[in-house]
Amino acid sequence: MPNLTRRKVLALGALGVAAPWLSKASAQERKITVAAYSDIFEDIYKRTVIEPFMKANPGIRVDYMGMPTSAQNLGMLRAQKAAPQIDVCIMDVVVAKAGGDENIYKPVTAEQLPVMKELVPAALIQGVPGPAVTFDALVLMYAPGKFPSPPTSWKELWDKKHAGRIAIDAPPNLVGVGLTLIANKLAGGGDYRQSIDKGIQLLAEMAPLVQTWDPKPNPYAAVANGVVDLGVGYNARAQTISKQNPDRMAAVMPEEGSISQINTINLVNGSKQPEAALQFMSYALSGEAQSRFTEELSYVPTNKNASISEDARKRTATTPERMARMIDVDWIEVAKFRDKITEQWRRNVISRS
Amino acid sequence: MTVSALEANDAKRGGRSLLSALLLPIVLVNILVFVAPVANLAAMSFRSAAATGAMIEGFNLSTWSSLISDAYYWSMLWRTVWIGALITLVALVLSYPLALFVSRATRAKALLIVLCISPLLISAVVRTYGWMVILGDQGFLPAMLRSFNLTPPRLINNQLGVIIGMTEILMPYMILSLLSGFGKLDATLEQAAETLGAGPFTVFRRIVLPLSMPGILLGCLLCFVLAVSSFITPKMLGGGRVALLATEIYDQAIVTLNWPVAACLSVLILIVFGTALLFYGQLSKIVE
Repeated sequence: MPNLTRRKVLALGALGVAAPWLSKASAQERKITVAAYSDIFEDIYKRTVIEPFMKANPGIRVDYMGMPTSAQNLGMLRAQKAAPQIDVCIMDVVVAKAGGDENIYKPVTAEQLPVMKELVPAALIQGVPGPAVTFDALVLMYAPGKFPSPPTSWKELWDKKHAGRIAIDAPPNLVGVGLTLIANKLAGGGDYRQSIDKGIQLLAEMAPLVQTWDPKPNPYAAVANGVVDLGVGYNARAQTISKQNPDRMAAVMPEEGSISQINTINLVNGSKQPEAALQFMSYALSGEAQSRFTEELSYVPTNKNASISEDARKRTATTPERMARMIDVDWIEVAKFRDKITEQWRRNVISRS
Repeated sequence: MTVSALEANDAKRGGRSLLSALLLPIVLVNILVFVAPVANLAAMSFRSAAATGAMIEGFNLSTWSSLISDAYYWSMLWRTVWIGALITLVALVLSYPLALFVSRATRAKALLIVLCISPLLISAVVRTYGWMVILGDQGFLPAMLRSFNLTPPRLINNQLGVIIGMTEILMPYMILSLLSGFGKLDATLEQAAETLGAGPFTVFRRIVLPLSMPGILLGCLLCFVLAVSSFITPKMLGGGRVALLATEIYDQAIVTLNWPVAACLSVLILIVFGTALLFYGQLSKIVE
């Protein structure tokens, strides 16, 4: 041991004596867990929001828990109600409302989260514990090779030449619920709160053309893999997959308009690190983080200060002409009769296919 | 009572307490991982959920009463039972000759058994995806039919797809059960029957089939229970058209978050299993 001097031995000894205090200092690093969607969302969210947040806040470690659906996200927290292991949840507004009603999430205010003042009014939803973090919309997905020109109308789904080449996620999936409201508008059904009968009748006419009501693994893959020619899905994912496979899948928001989808960010009631969780939520809602996320995954930001490139804006539902065509939907109201929609589909739509 | 009788009683009591002590760990584990969750499930079925999916505090019978009064769930229960029974029957018809051949093989018997049960080494999800590739619109089978200028029927995203996929997935279980039942078959009995003038069909009907009944009953019970409780394959091959109890439990628990309805349906499926076990017990007694 030629290099081991007395001084080095003393230094090592001192380090050993100080070790318990050193480990205590490192234990002061706060750790929070964020549960949100898996797949593409997870990859991009980690890269564009979580990693920059940890870089800006070295004292906070963020673990990401990928969940296939919002309902599974809430299910996990129901099971952990006595001792939650998750601090922040990003999920669909309908599920967030259910979780809020069960006191699984804690309502947050603009005093706790001043960034909420920067959000568009539609991001603050009455009765939902957390504010909206992304907006999205339903789109028509198609196989470009099978269409000489891009489809422009939802009515394409009723064209008999697509018999057996359509994939739709039926209710209780929210895509199917959204399509019901679109069909109701196409059929001139009026206010969906009063009746959706005309929409159901119209969907029943489409039913014999549908190949699957439960595409596996999802409608995006079904279109991209050539299993079907037409499908209905969410814009953000569809645009990203279309960008990766431009020859195999494209997405269009038809001229009759579309239905919005809202993801909210929620603070878990009983979080062991509420301050760190709020700090993360504040960052996730900031214009900076939302801009970075939207550049890669075409969700619409909820922060007014988010600046996105023209290219990214074109892929989102935020262009003025698209916004003007959106069908106004109160998802909290729709959630109240989701069961009835599901039942009508089973009896009058799926049974005819 | 004599001293030796007292000693024998003590020994018996000692043996019993040793047996109880040995059984205690597994009983505790079962209470923890089986009885407690099932009790929790049963308790959950007496709760209700709001229209948004939020669970409402307190116990009531509203979930049960709405379920029982809905004809849709009765038709689903009936569909689950008959599809499960049909899958079991098809699996039995296809597995029986195969298992009989394997049990009578004189060469490479072990290899044949391994070949029969080797599908179990691959996950049911992967095998179901395999069926999606074979039966799908652009799959091997429809393409072959088209090459003969035939219009292929829809083989996937319907009941037929579920029955084909489930039968293949459950066949190894049926084969294993039949092989265990064939242990009772004694070749000399068949030879004796033949010597007395019985033809091959009579030998099969009067000797082979009755002696293999325990294996058949076991295989049928196993396949039926697995067919009724399976949800991955019906979900993937049913295309949303085949609503069964297991797929509905998944939808209620994972999609609509109505855990009380999911719990009620789970209790219902347990009742179906209990009834199947009861039938199995009665039929086993008749066979023996």
